[in-house]
Amino acid sequence: MYSAEISRKNPGCFIFLLDQSASMEDPFGGSSDRRKADELATIINKLLHNLSIRCAKGDSIYDYFHVGVVGYGQDTVVKSAFNGPLSGKDLIPISELANNPLRIEDRTKKSDDGTGGLVEQTVKFPLWFEATHAGGTPMSSAFKMAAEMVQRWVAEHPKGFPPIVINITDGESTDGDPVPEAKALCSLGTDDGATLVFNIHLSSASGNPVELPATDEGLPDKFAKQLFEMSSGLTPFMIGRAKELGMPAGEGARGFVFNAQPVQVIQFLDIGTRPANLR
Amino acid sequence: MIDALHPVSAASFSVEAFSCQKAGNARAEYEDAWAIRGSDSPTRCRVAVADGATESSFSALWAALLVESFVRGRSHGPDFFNRLDAVRRLWRRKVRGRPLPWYAAEKARRGAYAAFVGVSLNAVNQGWRAVAIGDCCLMHVTGNGTGRELAKAFPLSHSGEFGSSPFLVGSVKKVDDNPFPYVRVSEGVLAPNDALLFASDALAAWLLRRAERAEPAWEAVEAIRTQEEFESLVAQAREDGTRNDDMTLVRLTRRDREKGAS
Repeated sequence: MYSAEISRKNPGCFIFLLDQSASMEDPFGGSSDRRKADELATIINKLLHNLSIRCAKGDSIYDYFHVGVVGYGQDTVVKSAFNGPLSGKDLIPISELANNPLRIEDRTKKSDDGTGGLVEQTVKFPLWFEATHAGGTPMSSAFKMAAEMVQRWVAEHPKGFPPIVINITDGESTDGDPVPEAKALCSLGTDDGATLVFNIHLSSASGNPVELPATDEGLPDKFAKQLFEMSSGLTPFMIGRAKELGMPAGEGARGFVFNAQPVQVIQFLDIGTRPANLR
Repeated sequence: MIDALHPVSAASFSVEAFSCQKAGNARAEYEDAWAIRGSDSPTRCRVAVADGATESSFSALWAALLVESFVRGRSHGPDFFNRLDAVRRLWRRKVRGRPLPWYAAEKARRGAYAAFVGVSLNAVNQGWRAVAIGDCCLMHVTGNGTGRELAKAFPLSHSGEFGSSPFLVGSVKKVDDNPFPYVRVSEGVLAPNDALLFASDALAAWLLRRAERAEPAWEAVEAIRTQEEFESLVAQAREDGTRNDDMTLVRLTRRDREKGAS
């Protein structure tokens, strides 16, 4: 299980669920100048950035993954969260996503000059999503929509690596208990295993970030515990990879983080030899 | 240790290479590389195999530059990895200046990576010295008559040691990069019937696994004469659960052994 090869012929599937509700306007992690919506936009843009770079090869990009992004909140509806040229799109190949960001910013970054020194370089940083916050939090409906997308995808890729659904939220569902919907989603899958659901909890509460816990002990509130309950266990490969990347994943670790930016989650799938010293 | 008491004057080596790209990929997407120099030299021969990492860009180019640099040079120890400035500059020159989309430019900025094993052989006393980083392997096969067996596998000696995230040689020298804890060296001497088999990781892991379960494939590997026969072996390895990867085999035998056999 969870051993299907991911390749252009047998792509993987990522679906991101973005909480764009009004409560995301509240401060993030006890901060006075950063809102949860800002944090969410940073995380999703970084995740898509890393995923695109992971699939880049030579001067092109390989379609190792299909990607969907569902937003829930604005006008209390659930829909594709893509904007601009991708507006309204459902699951798209990573190449289409990478080639169509909302905009590309120039950012300066210190990087290796290739001879052992550091040099300040201007790098392109694409953005697909802006901070958005309005309406309720129809999280259960978002999981239902994800299930519909997964259902279609697994029918087309019955032997593929199971889809991974990553929900980024402050945790307060307003359309009922999302746990059964998450469990229903996990009942769908491919010959290679059940769909995996991961949750990234962005809270207004300050406190230490929590990454990939094996129990809900020490989680700060009922929303965190609920999201932990909705989160799938990591596969043995993922636990190994998380450890290599310096994340504290032990036996029984689940795909749940609290007030952290787990951009390494993109590395949890094997698409070939990954140098340990690649940063 | 090198057996200086029994030199074989003017002996040289026969080296053959076979390669096969990942199933489903085009031949142009093959990212291993190998190079051989001096197999007809009465004094020395150098062989190198590198495996460009899937998760880096322009890694086939980097693997090719690494093996060429090794066989054209004189280093046979860890210092090889200290003398890569020129070859790194060459990689950068070939990659830079291309109009790349943002993701390709960012990936190239991070550099290419490759596993590497290089061997220098002394044709006079049949001694070999090897240096490696990563999981490209050489296997010293020995024995005759009743069967062939593994004398040494280097730098990995057990199939369970292969993973998906080895430390590799990078085309971009990083500030805090120190490859030396990851450099492995070894040496040996080839007896008249011995062979050195070089293999990229997936093939090496399979050959070791076969030996571990007492079903060695050494004779099958040594019997390969054509690309078709190599592809048939690769197909067998893949059916046996080996991961889908580029596969490279370089086989070195003593030429005096061939003469003796004919």
